[in-house]
Formats: sequence, C-alpha cells, structure tokens
Amino acid sequence: MTPASLLVAQAATAQVPIDWLLIGRQTLRVLLPEILIVLAATAIMTAGAFVRRPRRTWAGLSVLTLLAALGLLLLMPGGGPDPYASVVAHDALALATRIGLLLAGLIVLALAHDQVDDDRAPEFFGCLLFIHAGAMLVGTSNELVLLFLGLELVSIPTYFLLYLPRRTATTQEAATKYFFLSIFSSALLLFGLAYLYGLTGLSNLKALAYLIHWNRESLTLPQPLFATIALVFIMAGLAFRAAAVPFHFYAPDVYQGSPTVLAALLAWVPKVVGFVAMLRVLTAVFGTEALTASNLTTVSNKAVQLTWIVAAATLILGNTVALAQDNLKRLLAYSSIAHAGYLLIGITAAFRNAAGGSESVLGADSVVFYLATYALMTLGAFGVILLLDSRERPVETIDDLAGLLWARPWAAVALALCVFSLAGIPPLAGFWGKLRIFQAALEAGRGHDTAAFQALVVIGVLSAAIGAYYYLRIIVVMTLREPVDPPLGRAGWPTVLAVTACAVLSLFFGVYPAPLTRASRAAGEAVVNLPDPITTDAGTPPPTMAARPAPAVR
Amino acid sequence: MPILLILSILIPLLAALALFLTPRLDYRTARQVALGAVLASLALSLVLAVAFDADHPGPQFALVEPPTGAADNPGWGTAAETVYGMRWIDTGRGPGIRFATGLDGISLALFVLTAVLMVPSVFASWESVTKHASAHYALMLLLMTGLLGLFAALDVVLFYIFFEFTLIPLFFLIGLYGGPERRRASVLFFLYTLAGSLLTLVGVIALVVIHYQYTDVLTFSIPHLTEGLRHLPWSRWTYEATTAWTSPQALIFLLLFAGFAIKVPLFPFHTWLPLAHVEAPTAGSILLAGVLLKVGGYGFLRFNLGMTPYGAAHFMPLLATLAVIGIIYGALTALAQTDVKRLVAYSSVSHMGFVVLGMFALNDVGLDGATIQMINHGLTTGALFTCVGVLYERYHTREMDRMGGLWKRLPLLAFFLILASLGSAAVPGLNGFVGEFPILLGQFARDPFYAIIASIGMILGAWYLLLMLRRVLFGPLVEPHAHGESRAHGAHPVRPIGWHEIAGLAPLMVLIVAIGVYPKPIFDRIGPPLRAISAGFPTIDELPGSPQLTQRQTPARAPRLAARPTSQDRPR
Repeated sequence: MTPASLLVAQAATAQVPIDWLLIGRQTLRVLLPEILIVLAATAIMTAGAFVRRPRRTWAGLSVLTLLAALGLLLLMPGGGPDPYASVVAHDALALATRIGLLLAGLIVLALAHDQVDDDRAPEFFGCLLFIHAGAMLVGTSNELVLLFLGLELVSIPTYFLLYLPRRTATTQEAATKYFFLSIFSSALLLFGLAYLYGLTGLSNLKALAYLIHWNRESLTLPQPLFATIALVFIMAGLAFRAAAVPFHFYAPDVYQGSPTVLAALLAWVPKVVGFVAMLRVLTAVFGTEALTASNLTTVSNKAVQLTWIVAAATLILGNTVALAQDNLKRLLAYSSIAHAGYLLIGITAAFRNAAGGSESVLGADSVVFYLATYALMTLGAFGVILLLDSRERPVETIDDLAGLLWARPWAAVALALCVFSLAGIPPLAGFWGKLRIFQAALEAGRGHDTAAFQALVVIGVLSAAIGAYYYLRIIVVMTLREPVDPPLGRAGWPTVLAVTACAVLSLFFGVYPAPLTRASRAAGEAVVNLPDPITTDAGTPPPTMAARPAPAVR
Repeated sequence: MPILLILSILIPLLAALALFLTPRLDYRTARQVALGAVLASLALSLVLAVAFDADHPGPQFALVEPPTGAADNPGWGTAAETVYGMRWIDTGRGPGIRFATGLDGISLALFVLTAVLMVPSVFASWESVTKHASAHYALMLLLMTGLLGLFAALDVVLFYIFFEFTLIPLFFLIGLYGGPERRRASVLFFLYTLAGSLLTLVGVIALVVIHYQYTDVLTFSIPHLTEGLRHLPWSRWTYEATTAWTSPQALIFLLLFAGFAIKVPLFPFHTWLPLAHVEAPTAGSILLAGVLLKVGGYGFLRFNLGMTPYGAAHFMPLLATLAVIGIIYGALTALAQTDVKRLVAYSSVSHMGFVVLGMFALNDVGLDGATIQMINHGLTTGALFTCVGVLYERYHTREMDRMGGLWKRLPLLAFFLILASLGSAAVPGLNGFVGEFPILLGQFARDPFYAIIASIGMILGAWYLLLMLRRVLFGPLVEPHAHGESRAHGAHPVRPIGWHEIAGLAPLMVLIVAIGVYPKPIFDRIGPPLRAISAGFPTIDELPGSPQLTQRQTPARAPRLAARPTSQDRPR
C-alpha cells in the first residue's frame, strides 16, 4: 500500500520526514477498543467449544468487554495520528460513532440476553461483539481498505447470526436472502472504491478529500466521470446497508423471518455503518458549495441529484407501503426504510457542505444526531416486542398489542414514547432529529438548487405525515382496544432495563437535546474539516496546482 | 413576574404528572386536584393581566439575559438586541434555541382565555367522568400546559413544540373518553392537524434559515425574526423567475398557512372538525372550540401576517374568498343540523371564518376585530358546549327533535343558553357584536364585496341559533328518556342545575356581557402589538413587484385608507 501522506508530501514542495513508528503506535492506541473487542470475541467463541456455561456467563462477559472498551475509549488521550498518514481518524465523528455504538451495543446485549439457547450462546455473543467491532472500525476508518474491512466485519458475523438461532425454513430463507444481497452490495461497493482510488491514486480518505478539494478547478475531463462512477457504485453498495430504495427489498422479509432481536440489530447497526461510511467516503470527499463552478461542483451536483432521487423514493415508498402492514416486524422494517429516507435528506445536504461554510446545522451533523435518536426509538420499539413476546402468546401483528395500556401500562407507555418519537412528535428525541435534518437541508439549499432542497423537505414532511398514520395505528390499538387473553409474556430485568433506558432517554433528549447537539455538531465539523498537512516550511503554499480558493462567498 | 408566568405554565404540568402517577385515584380527589391546579394557574394569569403594561408593544414578563459580547457568541454581534429566555440548546452561532416565554397583548388575551375556559372544562367533567378520572384530568391539564406554553412562547421552536404537543393529550381525550365514533374522530383529528403542522414546521425553519442566510444572525426568537425579516429586501429577492406565485414569501406563506388553516379551520380544511367536536367529551369540546381553534388564528397573526406580510397581501383575495365561503357554508350546514352539538360545531366554522376575514382585511380595524372575535368566540362557544354537555348529561341525547320546552324544567340553563346564543349571534351589547362589527368594517374598507356577503352570514347565524333556542327551550315540554326502563318510574328524574355547573358557566356569562358593554381594556392591550404587525403592511401598497395588489387597490382608495385614523373605527 502506498503511504498516502507520501504522495501529499511529494506534491508539496517541502518534504516532511515521517516517523512511521510513531504513527503506527498512535494508530494501534486509537484502535485499542476494537482490538480488545475482537480479542474477547475470539476468546469467547474459542472457549465456547470447550467450556459449557449458561448463556448468562457469555452475555455477562460480552457486557464486560463492551464496558471495558467504553472505558478505554473515554480515557483515550486526544491528539491522534496525523490524519494524512494514518489509516485511522481520531476525530469527533469517530468518537461519537464508537461511543454511540458501544452504548447501543449494551442495549442490544441486554435485549439479547435470553434470546438464544445455552449451547449456541458463545457463538451468538461472539458474533455480536465482532459486529460491533466492525461497526466501530467503520466509524474510525480513514482509509478505503480499513473501511471495507470494517464493513465486512459487520456483514460476515451477521450471516452467522442469521443462521444460528433457529433452523426453520423462514429463518434460512431470510439468511440466504441477506447473504446473497449483502455479497452483491459489497461487490458494488468495492468496485466504487476502486474507482475512487483510481481517481487520485490515494486510499487515505483525508488525503483524497484534500487533493480533490484543492485541485477542484484542474480535475481533468475524464476524472469527473471516474468520480461519478465511484459515487454511483459506492452509493449503491452503502444503500443496501442503509436499506434505501432500490436496495430495500430484503429488509421486510429478513426482519420478519429472523428472530426479533436480530431484526433490531439489523435495523440499527447496518444503518449506522452505512451512513457513517457515506459521510466518510462520499460527502467528505465530494461535498462542496453550489455557488462556485468547478469540476468538483459538477460531481457534487450529480451527487445531490442522485441522493435527492434516492431519498425521495425511499421516503415515499417506505412510508406508504408501511401503511399496508399488519405484521409488527414488517411494519418496523418499512419504518426503518422510511427513516433511511430522512437520513438521506441529511446526506443530500451534506453534499453541499464544505469546510469553512456558514451553515448552523451541517448535513453530517444532522445525520449523526438522527442516528443517535433513531437508535433509541427503534431499539426501544423492538425491545417492547421482545418484552411481551412469549411462546404461548407470540407478538406478531399489531392486533397482538390490543389493550396493552390496560394490561401492561408501563410497557405501553414505553412503546408510546418510542413510537411517538419515531413519528417525530415533540417533545421527544425524534422531533429534534427531524428538525435538524430539515434545517440542514434548507440551509444547504442556496443558489440554483434552493427549490430542489425545499421540495425535498416538503416531500419529507408530507411522508412524515403519512407515516404518522401507521405509528398512530399502534397507539390506537394499544390504548383504545380491550386487552385479550392469554396475558402477554414477561422478560428478565435486562430487557426491562434496556427498554426503560430507551424510553426515558427518548423523552430526556426530547426535553434537553443539548448534549446530543454538541456531540453531533463536533462530529459534523470533523467530517468537513481538512487540516493543513504538516510542512516543515511554514511559507509553502498547499499542494495545489491552482491557487487555493478564497472562502466561500454567499 | 417572569417567574409567575413560568409557574402558571408549570403548575398544570406538575399536577398532570402527579395525576398520571396515581392512576387509581378516586375521581372526587382527582377533580379537586385538577380544579386546584386550574384555579392557581388562573389566579397567576389574572395577576399577570393586571400587571400588564398596555402601552408596551413588545413581549413582557420575559426573562432577559444581559447582552453578551460578541466574543463568546460568534455571529451574534449586535449586543443591543435583547436576548429573551434561558439557554436551552446552543447552535454554535447566535443565541440558539432558547426557552423563552413572554406575553404581549395578543398572547396575554389568549393566555387568560385558556385559563378561564379551563374552569368550565373541569366543572363539565365534574360528575360525568368517573372512570379513569385521574388520567382524564391529567390529560386536560397537559392540554392546558401545551396551550398556555404555546401562547407564551417567544421562540419559534418552543412555540412549535407546544403547538404539536397539544395533539397528544387531545388525541387521548377524544379517543379514550369520547362518543361512539371516538376512534375514527381522534385519528382523523390527529393526522389531519399533524399533516398541516409539519408543513408549518418547514415554513418556520425556512424563515429562520432565510433570516440567517441574509443577516448572518441565527435566531429563533419570534420578536427578533419578525423584526429582522421585515428589513429583508423580499420584493427584490426572487428566484430566476420573478412571478409573485413563486416568490419566497408566497411559498413560505403557504407552508405556514397549511398548519394554521387546518387548525382554524378555514373552509376546505374543516372536515375534521365536526366529527372531532361531536365525539369529544364536553371538556374536550370546550377546549377544542374555545382555545385550540384560536391557535390557528394566533399563528396567522404571529407568523403569516407578522413575518410574511407580502405573501399575505398576495393571497388576500383567495383567503378572503375562502373565509366568506366558510362563513356561509358553516352557517347553512348549521341550519340543517338536528344534533345540537353538531350545530355548535358548524357554527364554529362560520365564526372562525369571520376571524380570518378580519385578519386578511390587512388593516388595523380588521385586525382588532379579528383578535377580539377570537376571545369572544372562545367564550360563547365554550359556554354553548358547556350547556350542550349539561343537556347530554341529563338526557343522553343531543337530538333537538327529542327535546323541547326545557325552559320549564331547567330555567337557569335556559338563561345561560339564551345569553350565550345571543352573544354568539352578535347581538349589540353582547360580545359577538364587538368582534364582528369591526371585522366587517375593516373588510369593507379593503373590499366591500366580501363584507357584504359575510354579513349575510351574520343573519344566517342569528337564524340557526334562534331556531335552536326555539326547538330546545320553548314550546311544549318534551323530555327524552335516556333509558327505556326509566319510563316505568313515571317522569324522568332530572337533576337541577348543580353548583358546579353554575360555577362553570357564570364567569363566561359575566365576560360575555362585560366585553359587550366595555371592550376597551382588551382593545387597549391588543392594540399596540397589532399596530406593530400592521406596520409591516402599508409598504405593500407601494410595492412595484406585486401587480395583483396594485390592480385590486384602485388608486383613489389607497390614500383614503392610509389616512383614516383607526381609533375612531373601534366601537367603544
């Protein structure tokens, strides 16, 4: 692999001596949490073959691993390796993604603690840990290859997980469907990444973005075409993970066919991975203002058009098809598709953000914020289903929730909080997510594409209004109908704790979202931030063939 | 004083939470807790009303942060501006989204109206709600919190949160405690209003973003936005195509309009209202008709007229037409009803049409009339729904064919019903006249055509209300029997009007007469902020870029309008 920074440094007039040992040490230090999780997962899966323990041992070990990783992450000193030299980025986006994934991982583990047989528990929890390590790698990766590695570290254990728990025909169908489509999308993604590499000869993402941005005028003619190909294929590959139209087909079948806890996992982890990867690979590289005309603007215009269409289609399809669903998991699947649509509005806006812009809400900022609230409300909604589901009384359709308010008031309140939050009703966290997405999109729309962004936002709110209907159906069934026998099941305290956390935090961040807004703001700025590479000679201009463009004029 | 304002919003919220956490509470205790909270909040709001400085057009009782330097607040350089409220969510640029509350004359009037109407709402549920009473009162208090907060909000996001939040308690009030078709009614009400208010949200964000993009100040404060947007060169700022329909203000006006028009409800958007009103429990109907519809009018004043006056001027003919259609249509439909509650519901469509007509007269007289008409309609419709609730509680029917001559059975109720109906029918000396007369006067100055048709609506209004009175109160005594079995006991036992029903209706009656006789205190308070809003209008007439308006405005009439002293138009 060509050291990326070497190329940057060669392009510059000054040669910087690079201390590779130092960078290697720093990189390993940044990756410590992921290394710890992977080691623990390997240990759990290996030990599971020799030691027979009840599932709560393995669940407990996994929780301890995640807590230790969280501790490492929080105690990690600032100041990571030089972003132009290292494969990892130690920035606010990485930090926010990893903390979010670890906390959500604890919730997922709590929901999963009694969902697997004792004899398969080590593999199950080991795979869960691998998935989280992979997702965290995506969040922190600054390198095309590492990014792809992280994505595969999420996908491959997911195939195992889908096969593991129950060997029924529907589970196998779901697993097979997911497997083939996932492989296909990985291939598309790899193809796109190759073109991105071919565009510049760089695989370090920051360096790639830097070169493209400072040479935006002089990108020669075939290269915008390269960029467009890369854009389309990477988008296609990541759209599968985000469950965006037209790569959404698998979601309802797979969610319905797999155990509820895996549906919850699939609704959350691939989505956060897909969108963070979009921020890292696409918007950070191709995002630019609309008002300056350059080859890069041509590409970013195409990116805006592409994501605009995908976002609008995802929003409309997800929300309208969900109206016809009676099965809860299918409904939540379409709801997760619809939420991919809102997130794509944020991505569309992020293609119009660049370093030094004056937006008060960046597209990336709104996406990160939305992902955090989405985790709470979606995991909470799936958690309530897990809470009530039992062998004697499965909770499959909306009607199974009839009279929940009278039978199990607290579960009903928790579900109502999560569902109203999904619908974006204030004062719940989901409202702020939508508000920031819409604000980011309206702020991004200036110049010739103002109307396009306004139209996208209007499509967004109208489909949110349509979407409110199916969320309201859940509320209506559980409050305005009489409960039916037999009584709903009860779950262990970890599930109750996880659901309570989701519901309470949805309300808390709805009333006081400031901690989340601060974190997401920093993450959004980290995406567009392109620091000057370290040079020995302070007077040397940046490595551009044209002069560095002046700050954006509005 | 700012603390009192926040307290008066918080008391119902705290009481609601307490009631939610004790769901098994006896209904007698629950209603006393609710009444206590309502009275405490009402007392505080009355203190605020007395302490209000009528000459001051800006918001009062607001927490004010001392101006900070530009150093720690980049993008917020103008230190002279007052920053209202408490820090809530920092946006990195400017003062951020703040928890800012304060009242000006318009919001004060509606704030007090909300607190006043809560009293009959609680008393209307006094005997009728016995099952799950704790949750019922909690939902009512939650709704009250939302409404009070909405009128007091000085921050667009805070306003929107309260605006949308009112949906949840009302949804459950209708859905859990309503009539036989309550599920359909609550869902229809929720989705219809949500769809509109989401579009309003886009409009609100668009205003904030435009203000930020053109002034470099990111503010969510309603007073600052109103002031800042006024100074933007809207008429010159267009897209590539310079047509009035696609000018930014027209688009934003329509987005804002979507939510508020559904709340009001303006004519083609009213279809949710009759069902919701009829199915809602009495307390829900009182608040829905009395206050929730005013939210739409308040939104028109604050946002559509205050922040997008160009759009308002552009769409004025369309809106006036819709308002007039609503007036006539609502009145004719009310005339055809046999269900008393449905009749009152359709009369709301008609009367709210007057409010919109007055607002889009776009002059001081019309605005004055529209604002006071919102108060009047709240009082009279609240009283009418309370009376209907009293009847329904006794006879379990609202069909006018099945009742008659009730004057003999319930004389006190008859008195209340007659007074409220006359007030609603705008009989001079009662409050309805004080509102509808300036509305017609203002609209006559703008365009006599609409005013003339609307005055037909007034005649129809008197007709259906008097018809209702005749059928229900006069003639031979006809009493419906709630249950077939009770006939065996001879005459149906009818409980006379209880003290709680008198206590609920009497304050409304006093206000109906008082406003009719001496409306000056209210006009004095709503005047200054309305003048501030209408100060944005006159320049519209001089605009070169709005051909529709200059065509409509014949040259001879314009100077006469501008020169007319407004104070003489108000009936005193």
